[in-house]
Amino acid sequence: MTDLNFLADDGLVDALTIEIADLLRRLINEGEQGAVDLLGLPLSPSCVAALEQRLGQGEITAVLDAAGRSEIRETGFPGVWWTRHSDEKGRVVAMLIEVTFVPDILRANIDDMALGCERLTGSTHVARSQPRSAA
Amino acid sequence: MDDSENLGEMLARRGFGRRSLLKFAIAMTSSLALPPFIAQVMAANLAKAKRRSVVWLSFQECTGCLETLLRSSSPTIDSLIFDFISLDYQETLMAASGAAAERTLRDAVAANKGEYLLAIDGSIPVKDGGVYSLTGGRSNVSMLAEIAADAKAVLAIGTCAAYGGIPKAHPNPTGAVGVEDLVSGKPIVNIPGCPPVPEVLSGVLVHFISFGRLPDLDELKRPLAYFGTTIHDQCYRRPFYDQGKFAKSFDDEGARQGWCLFELGCKGPTTHNACASLKWNGGTSFPIESGHGCIGCSEPDFWDAGGFYTSLAGGSGTGWRNAGIAAAVGLAGGAAVALSARRKVDTDPDKTP
Repeated sequence: MTDLNFLADDGLVDALTIEIADLLRRLINEGEQGAVDLLGLPLSPSCVAALEQRLGQGEITAVLDAAGRSEIRETGFPGVWWTRHSDEKGRVVAMLIEVTFVPDILRANIDDMALGCERLTGSTHVARSQPRSAA
Repeated sequence: MDDSENLGEMLARRGFGRRSLLKFAIAMTSSLALPPFIAQVMAANLAKAKRRSVVWLSFQECTGCLETLLRSSSPTIDSLIFDFISLDYQETLMAASGAAAERTLRDAVAANKGEYLLAIDGSIPVKDGGVYSLTGGRSNVSMLAEIAADAKAVLAIGTCAAYGGIPKAHPNPTGAVGVEDLVSGKPIVNIPGCPPVPEVLSGVLVHFISFGRLPDLDELKRPLAYFGTTIHDQCYRRPFYDQGKFAKSFDDEGARQGWCLFELGCKGPTTHNACASLKWNGGTSFPIESGHGCIGCSEPDFWDAGGFYTSLAGGSGTGWRNAGIAAAVGLAGGAAVALSARRKVDTDPDKTP
């Protein structure tokens, strides 16, 4: 089959770069965070690769293991994050450029924290040695 | 899961943290073509949502729609969403039969009056008083009228339920029609396809559970997020169409090179569906990628729209007109729907939103 890289489009990568720069400017000046849904665009694999190369690699890469693997990576431009979410079979289910200080999914959730706090307290020797009250 | 438990609690009990739910919401907002920042709202709403009753009636159908939806499940968070609906009546899947099944249906409808979702697969025969399809001696027409009356919304799943499908094909011996021809005064969403793409049903259910309403629909009551563009506009072979490179037979050099299947009867230019983006079998492929043209199964009356191997260019009427319109809209048109979104946040990075 013919190599499908013919879809590579420098113009599309340029357009996305301009859009991302605009989102970053808005984050800096107005506090608006933004995102670009890459799966919602007609991008070829080579076009995605070209965009990824242009944005480069920053200082932080986080791996999330929840219902499949996710990689949250800061690009070479602070505040611009490349997030790729896969399901448990490795299929990419979401791919975003997030323009924000910290992507929401990295923050701990308050309900999860409360449950964790209970578990943590219950894990001490003191808690385990106390007799359980009658139900 | 008991009825007082919400989705957030159920997920926590099963060892899923809220990040899993947020990740699922991110994937669903992408699938539903919603702005990315809606994912936070969707995740929060899903965490608080309660179980939703679904009554599923099968009429004049082949069970292919149900089969494909069942095959879609995988041990991921998606399947948890299907756990979160209570499928209170489905004749093929339920253990009960006969009078016990009839009682189950009555009980489910009475217990969830005005709140349950009614899912239909199969067309409804209306000729000769509807005698061509009966359940427990009752006609499909009668059952639909009674059960739809107290439903919150009606989901017509598959092309038969949506538009009559294959049973309605000429000469339509049973007088088959779609749900919309018989039900009025209720929100209806059509999820056509023969069979439909399973992820579309997931998306519609999640949207309904999250926001309490159906997603935006097109003029044929199909979810716009999935049916807003044609197969042709999303097709990876589209550049060959633009270059005038067409396979002339299924085994010629053009076919081997992956050229456009338009001249072999592909109905992609006139067919609205999400096959080319969501694909099938866990994202493996879709018919055109497997070397066969689209047969247009998500459009009304597709069975009577000419031969599957007759080119739209050789025909006349709406098919050819729509093909001409599709040809005029380039890939750049797709790029124009680029999804980007913004929301206001505190500029202090130390503050938790």
